[in-house]
Amino acid sequence: MTALLIAVLGFFLAYAIYVATLTARQSRGPEDYLDGGGDLPGWCFAFAATGILLSALGLYDHHLLQALFGLQYNHVALGIILAALAGAVVQKRLWLAARITGLRTLGDLIGAYYGSTALRILLLILLLLFTLPFAAQSLGRLGLVVEAASQGQVPRTGAVWVMAVFLFLGGVIGGWRAVIYVIAGQTLLLLTLIALTTGVGALTLDWIAVLGGDLPAAPGVLAKQIPGVIQYSSGLGKEATSGGIWTTTAILSAALPLVGILLSPAFVFLAITTARGKGFAFNQVWMTSGLGVGAMLLLTPLIGAGIGLAQPDALAEGTISYASLLLQFLAIDQLYAVGLALMLVTALQIPVAVFAQAGANLFVIELFGRYVMPGLSARDRRLAARVTLAVVFVLIAALASFAPLWAEIFGAMTLSLSVQFFPAILGLCWVRWISRGAVITGLIFGILLVVFTEPLGLILFEGLFVELPWGRWPLTIHSAAWGLAFNLAACLLISIFTLSAPDRSNRERLHAIFARDHKQGASSPALRTALWSLILIWAFFAFGPGAILGNWFFSEPIFSDTALTLAMPSLWIWQIVFWFLGVFFVWWLAYQARLSIIEMPVKTHLSLEEGRSSFGQLTPGFFARILERVAKR
Amino acid sequence: MQSKDEGEAVIGRLDRHVLVLSFWLPLGFLALALFTRGLDLGNHWLVAGAFVAVLVGFLGHVIANAVYRTFFTSRELALGLVVYLLALLSFLLALLLGSERIEALFAVIGLGFLALALGVIAYLVIHLGVRRAFEAFDVISDFRTRRKLEEPDS
Repeated sequence: MTALLIAVLGFFLAYAIYVATLTARQSRGPEDYLDGGGDLPGWCFAFAATGILLSALGLYDHHLLQALFGLQYNHVALGIILAALAGAVVQKRLWLAARITGLRTLGDLIGAYYGSTALRILLLILLLLFTLPFAAQSLGRLGLVVEAASQGQVPRTGAVWVMAVFLFLGGVIGGWRAVIYVIAGQTLLLLTLIALTTGVGALTLDWIAVLGGDLPAAPGVLAKQIPGVIQYSSGLGKEATSGGIWTTTAILSAALPLVGILLSPAFVFLAITTARGKGFAFNQVWMTSGLGVGAMLLLTPLIGAGIGLAQPDALAEGTISYASLLLQFLAIDQLYAVGLALMLVTALQIPVAVFAQAGANLFVIELFGRYVMPGLSARDRRLAARVTLAVVFVLIAALASFAPLWAEIFGAMTLSLSVQFFPAILGLCWVRWISRGAVITGLIFGILLVVFTEPLGLILFEGLFVELPWGRWPLTIHSAAWGLAFNLAACLLISIFTLSAPDRSNRERLHAIFARDHKQGASSPALRTALWSLILIWAFFAFGPGAILGNWFFSEPIFSDTALTLAMPSLWIWQIVFWFLGVFFVWWLAYQARLSIIEMPVKTHLSLEEGRSSFGQLTPGFFARILERVAKR
Repeated sequence: MQSKDEGEAVIGRLDRHVLVLSFWLPLGFLALALFTRGLDLGNHWLVAGAFVAVLVGFLGHVIANAVYRTFFTSRELALGLVVYLLALLSFLLALLLGSERIEALFAVIGLGFLALALGVIAYLVIHLGVRRAFEAFDVISDFRTRRKLEEPDS
C-alpha cells in the first residue's frame, strides 16, 4: 500500500505545483502574489471556505471523538451552521469596509477603525498562533496518518518535512491565488472521499447496522443521547462527568470556536480578496450549511462507529487511533485504504497551506511593509513574502517534528482566542457605539478567561503557583464561551460609558457610508424581527438547552405512552431536522435579506487614517534609528 | 506587459481551467476506485457508480462552461475523445480476447459508454442546436469548404 499511497499523494502534490505554476505564469503583477489581485472568483471562495471550515474544525479529531462519544458529539457539527450565520452577518460588511477604505487585512481594518496599535498587535499575535502552532498541530497529525498508513515505512518526521517542502513549493510559486485554487479543488476531493469512505464501510463492514443497534462508545458514555443540559463538573482533568461531556451547554459553547475560524485573519483575508457577487451566499447556504454540515451529520457518525468497532479494546481504554481502520480497509482493497488516508491527509493539509500562506503574506503587509521597511516596491514585497513563507514552513515543520505537545497546547486555544475578536468585528460592521476602550478591555478579559480554562494557563499556573480548583472547560462550558461571555459583558458595559468618546467621529464616517450607500433595508422591520426571533428559537432547540428533547422526542413521543422502534436513533433524526431548518434560515439571511450578496462595485473613497496610506511611513522612531544604524554599517 | 483587459481575460481562462480540474480531480479518483473494485468483484453496481461519477464530472464541466459562458477548448475535446476512444478500444479488445471479467460486466460497461456518448450528444444539441452540433463533426464538408477557399479562382 505504501507505494500506492506515495504515488497518489505525489499525484496530488504535483497537481498543486502545476496549478501554482500556471497561476504564476498568468500573474498580472508582483502584488498578485500577495492577494491574488483581490478578485478571486466566487466559486473559489464557496469551495475553499467550506474546506477550511471543515478541516480547521478538526476532521481528524472529529471522527475519533465520535468514536468515543457517539451521537452526542455529532451534535457539535450543527454548530457549523452558527458559523455560517455569523458569516452572513459580518463577511459582506468586512468586504465593503475593506473596499471603501482600501485596506486589505483584518488587522489594518480593525487597527484603523478603532485607531489602536494595541489591537493591531493583538491581531498579529493571533495571526502568529494560527500560522505556527495551529498549522503545526495539523502537520504533526498528518505525519502520524502517513506513518500509520504506511505501517511505519514512512516515519512521521519524514512525512512532516516532505509534505512541508511540497506545500511550500506550491505556495512560493503561485502565491495566494494558487493556494486558494488548490484548496477549492481539495474541498471537493475531501467531500467525495468522506462519501467514499462511508460507502465502503457501510457496504462492506456493516456500519449502518450499528446505528439501529448498539452504537459503540467509550465505557459509561451515552452514545445516542445528550447527557444533560449542563453538568456541574470542575472541568476536564479535575472531575469526571456522567454519561459524557457533550451536554447541550458544551455543544452550544463548542460552536463558538467554529465562529473563530471564520473570524481568523486568514479567513477574513480570503473573504476580502474575493470578487463581488454571490460567492459568500453560495458558500454559506449550499456549501457550508448544506453539503458540509450534511456530510458531517450524516456520514461521519458512521466513520466514528467504524473506528470504534475496529478496536473495541482501545475504545474501552480511550486510546483509539486510525491504525485499525486503515488495516480493515487495506484488507478490502488497497485503493480504499489509500482513499481513507488521503481523506485525512487532505483535511490536515488544508489548514497548513492556508494559514502558512496567509500568515506569511499578512506579516509582510501588516508588519514588514508597514513598520519595518515601508518603502518597499511591489516586487520586493513579493520577495519578502516568499522569504517569510520559507521561514514559516521551517518553523511549522520544526514545531510539528520536535515540539508537537506545545503545538497542541497553543493550537488548542487558538480558535477560542480568535472568537474573542467578535465584539471588535461586530462594532466595525454594525454597532457604531462599541468603542476602542471597550473592545480592548473586553479582549483582555476574554483572553485571560480562555487561557485559564485551557491547558496552557492551567499547566503554567499550577506549575508555578498553586493548584487551581477548576480544570479545562469547567461546568462543561468551552473556553471560547467563558472568554466571550466576560468579553461581551465588559465590552458592552464600558461602551455605555464611552458613548461620546473622541474617536467616535472617526468610526461614524464608515457607518455613515454603510447607511447611505449599502443599506440593508430590503425587508420590512417586522419581517426582520420575525426572522431573528425564529433564528433564536431555532438555535435554542438546535444546539441550545432545547436540544435535550431530541434524546427521546421521536422514539417516545410526548402525550403518548408508547415507545416507537425506529431505524435510527431519535437524536440523529433531531439533528437532521434542525439541519434542514438551519439551511433554510441561512438561505433567508444570505439570499432573501441580501446579507451576503454584493451587487454594486465599490470604489475606495474613505481614509480611516488621514494622511496615512496602507504602506505609509509608520516606522516607530526607535526602530527607524536601529535600522539606520544597521544599514550604515 | 499585458493590458488590463487582456489580464482579466487570461485570469478568466485560468479560473475556468482550475474550476474544471477541481471537478475532475475528485470524481476521477472516485471513478477509478469504483471501477477497479467493481472489476475485481464483478459487481455491476460499482462499475455503474464509476460511470455515474464520470457523468457527474462531465456535468461539472458543463457547469463551468455555463458559468464562464464558454465551450470546451480544443485541448479538452481532444483529450476527452482520446481517453474515450482508448477506453472503448480497451473494452472491445478485452472482449475479443475473451476476458471473463469483462464479459460478465458487458452490459453495464456497454451501457456506461453509451450513456457517456449520449450525454455528450445531448449537451451538444442543447448548446449548439441539432444543425450546428452535426456541423461540428462534419469533417467532410469542412474539408471541402477549406479546399474551395484554398483553390485559386479559375
